[in-house]
Amino acid sequence: MKIPSQPLNQKILKYLITFLIVVGSIWSASGLEITPDRFLSAPGKIWILISAMFPLDLSQEAIDRIVPKVAESLFIAWAGTVIGAIFSFPVSFLAANNTSINTISRVTKQILNIIRAFPELILAFVLLPITGLGPLTGTLAVGIHSIGTLGKLSSEVIEGIDDGPLESIKSSGGSKLNVLFFGVVPQVMPTITSYWLYRFEINLRASAVLGIVGAGGVGAELINQLRFRDFPRAGTVLVVTILMVLIVDTISAAIRRRIIKGREIIV
Amino acid sequence: MNKVPKKPLPSLLAVIGYPFTIAFSIFSFFQIGFNLEDFKRNFANRRLVTDTLFNPKWDWAIENASQALIETIQIAILASILGCFIALPLSFYASRATNQTTTTYFIYKSFLNFIRTIPDLFWAMLFTVAVGLGPFAGVLALVMFSMAIMGKLLSETIDSIDLGPLEAAKASGAKHNQAVFSSALPQILPNFTAYFLYIFELCIRASVILGLVGAGGVGRIIETQRIFLRFDRISPIIIFILVIVIGIEQFSVWLRRKIL
Repeated sequence: MKIPSQPLNQKILKYLITFLIVVGSIWSASGLEITPDRFLSAPGKIWILISAMFPLDLSQEAIDRIVPKVAESLFIAWAGTVIGAIFSFPVSFLAANNTSINTISRVTKQILNIIRAFPELILAFVLLPITGLGPLTGTLAVGIHSIGTLGKLSSEVIEGIDDGPLESIKSSGGSKLNVLFFGVVPQVMPTITSYWLYRFEINLRASAVLGIVGAGGVGAELINQLRFRDFPRAGTVLVVTILMVLIVDTISAAIRRRIIKGREIIV
Repeated sequence: MNKVPKKPLPSLLAVIGYPFTIAFSIFSFFQIGFNLEDFKRNFANRRLVTDTLFNPKWDWAIENASQALIETIQIAILASILGCFIALPLSFYASRATNQTTTTYFIYKSFLNFIRTIPDLFWAMLFTVAVGLGPFAGVLALVMFSMAIMGKLLSETIDSIDLGPLEAAKASGAKHNQAVFSSALPQILPNFTAYFLYIFELCIRASVILGLVGAGGVGRIIETQRIFLRFDRISPIIIFILVIVIGIEQFSVWLRRKIL
């Protein structure tokens, strides 16, 4: 039996990828002076650190310090997501090539790409001297970064819509604005809302970290406790953070599923 | 007149959701404490940043940061490769389609979820304490980071594979592991490659800031210059990173289109 041979292109691609992976990892490992035995000894060292954290420091004083900081991270993430959602929504219509003019779409996409390339932490410490130490800086950093990511995701959603409803609005005499409001927005809203929630989950992790540069949130607490070698308290910070992230993730995932699936309507 | 069906009542989610969302947003903005007076006073400092930020010292950055930039890329490459290849077998165990034992499925699934809750820099901080300062801690942190993301994405992909080939392999006498290896793995390999490229991008972004907590890479230089507000030295580094990140992104978009 004759089996058709694989196209050459695919084969070359496969070898190329394998080659890149092997060479890349060897080059990196040698450059960083990382040997396999360092990897093997790592789990033991981590275990020492983890066992130093238990029992956790659950004294009233520790809880009173840590919980407000974790809550602050939550507020930063939410407010940042709101900023990102409000600003990215109109921008995404400019960036999508079916609701915008070709040149404007390209320029907007590039701007979004550039915004997205800055990590939140870098934005945070550039903003720090202007907006001051504290959660405001963190919120702005998270918000600006979210505009970039949400703008990209939303514009891709807009580009993937069904043209039928738009045409029927046009053919029944709707203006361009009518097409936008009654044709595009209802189609994209569920997906975009679920992206907002998804971004909120990511922002929560980002805002937890921002404290390292003094932009508010729980990050400062963790790095300080680790520096002072107060491991039980560092453990408490970690556990409270993990709990909050888990709870928020679960709620947000449930809402997202509901938004995408829609409600069953009994007629 | 035609009979028009009644408009359905707003759903419970909307009734509770909209007011709650608005209230929580307002509450959050109050908690963040925007103070116009402070903002005005601080805003006078803006020249401290803008003057230096838009006045990059290219020579200094090329001389001092190029080595660290290479280190950053090396951390990202090694960590994303290791993390993704560790996640490959794990995600088969964390999927209902290829793991029939409920207990182990649950254990692997929650393990991956647990890793995912800890932010990348928290891992970096923990590893710097555990294994010492330097790029090795950064590699370990990003291994956890990429493992968690790959585990989630891939196990969800495995959930939705075509079970036909798996059944066919079993019908012709393959053991469960053999069936998974010969029928499930080839189905998800294109997705695996695409996710790998995506995670590599994420790792490049994340590795830039690892140095802020002493886990190696270009962040180490950014951190020392940031404390002295030498934004003129940081801005060329930021631009280098920008070029690298956007370049890698374009490359991986191109490659992903070739594969899928």
